[in-house]
Amino acid sequence: MTWNCEHIEARLSDYLDGLLAPDERHEFDAHVNGCEICTPLLSSVSHLLSDLHSLEAIPEPPRLAYNILNLTLGPRAVKKGWLGGFSWLRLLASPRFAYSAVSLVATVLILLTASGVSFRKKPKLADFSPANIYRNANSQAHLAYARSTKFVSDLRVVYEIQSRLSKDNELPTEPESTVPQSAPGKNPGSTDGTKPSAPRQQNRANGIGREIEVLAEEIPVVSLKLSAPLLGRRIP
Amino acid sequence: MAPCNFWGKLVTVAGFEADDTLEQDAQLVQQCLQGDGSAWEELVRRHTRRIFNICYRFTGNGTEAEDLSQDVFLRVYKTLGSYRSAHGGFATWMTSVTRNLLIDHYRRTKRDRITDSLDDAMPVVENKESAGRRPDQQLLLGELSHQVQTALTKLSPELREAVILRDLQQLDYNEIRQVLDVPEGTVKSRINRGRIELARILHQMGVRPS
Repeated sequence: MTWNCEHIEARLSDYLDGLLAPDERHEFDAHVNGCEICTPLLSSVSHLLSDLHSLEAIPEPPRLAYNILNLTLGPRAVKKGWLGGFSWLRLLASPRFAYSAVSLVATVLILLTASGVSFRKKPKLADFSPANIYRNANSQAHLAYARSTKFVSDLRVVYEIQSRLSKDNELPTEPESTVPQSAPGKNPGSTDGTKPSAPRQQNRANGIGREIEVLAEEIPVVSLKLSAPLLGRRIP
Repeated sequence: MAPCNFWGKLVTVAGFEADDTLEQDAQLVQQCLQGDGSAWEELVRRHTRRIFNICYRFTGNGTEAEDLSQDVFLRVYKTLGSYRSAHGGFATWMTSVTRNLLIDHYRRTKRDRITDSLDDAMPVVENKESAGRRPDQQLLLGELSHQVQTALTKLSPELREAVILRDLQQLDYNEIRQVLDVPEGTVKSRINRGRIELARILHQMGVRPS
């Protein structure tokens, strides 16, 4: 018997499940290989089965089993007596509670540290009174403000010095090679022991020193430390 | 194209596992009947996901599937005394209870779905849009799973339950025959027609085989 498309469609699942006899399978293959209708049909159903078998089970809602047990066995038994009072302690074992507790402790520690409570020395009970906490927090806030102001001023001084130094470096100076090889009235090759560029460098060093002095006058407290070593530097 | 012989092997392997499961289920049922609450808890734990999946694949709705799963376990709990292990495994019996409840639910809600039949008459492009209308489903399932679910809900209930039991729950023909209470020839015919129809619907939806 030669199979037609109706036979193929009727026995498609038997073929895919491997339930056809060898001669039936031969007939099946012979028809499908030469049929433009049955080839894509077999292909699509075969791929569908692969897809269906690859699907994973859908996770049930977490409360479902609990609800079923409540419906069938009744509400969960609650421990009576004084031991029942400790049942809430089981909540402490949950990761959610542990994370919350750790973050809460960290937040409190950060707030207390920011409020000026020092844990280096043993904290006293009086440190936690509202007045002391306010006073400490106030002084901490002012201290933080002063430090930040000082930091900004330091940065400003350093920036000013750097910019002026770079400005001076950019001034056109005559390189050694541009110094005239011979001066009028002097014999070529003779030297009088002077360096033509030395006065100019000295002038530059003196100029930087003056600028730092001006800066020190403008910002006396902050720039004192910075200007001292620079003022002491002199190019010989 | 070579036939998929792996399916027979899969059923054989699953059969070995099923023997062990059958024994454990039978033992748990006996303990339940003697009033052991923990045995019932264990039965619920073992079968909740499977029953929920059958309900979800049949209804395509998470809330309905959850409610139906609860109804299934409630009925099983009440009628546990009528279960006879000689008539088949506990899982098969439970699946049969599930199927009966699903069919009852399908008939009960048939009137509500009359408006849905308008959606069935929509062109293929509309089907794609309706598939994208439920982001909660797409989050719950993968894309392929969601597409299969959409196509399943367009099958007739007879073909749908046959495909779900065979290809998603991987029951063998004999177990499906027990669950559906129809001759094995009918089971094979429904599975075959269901697969062809499902492939055709997925093709119309524009789903290309992976």
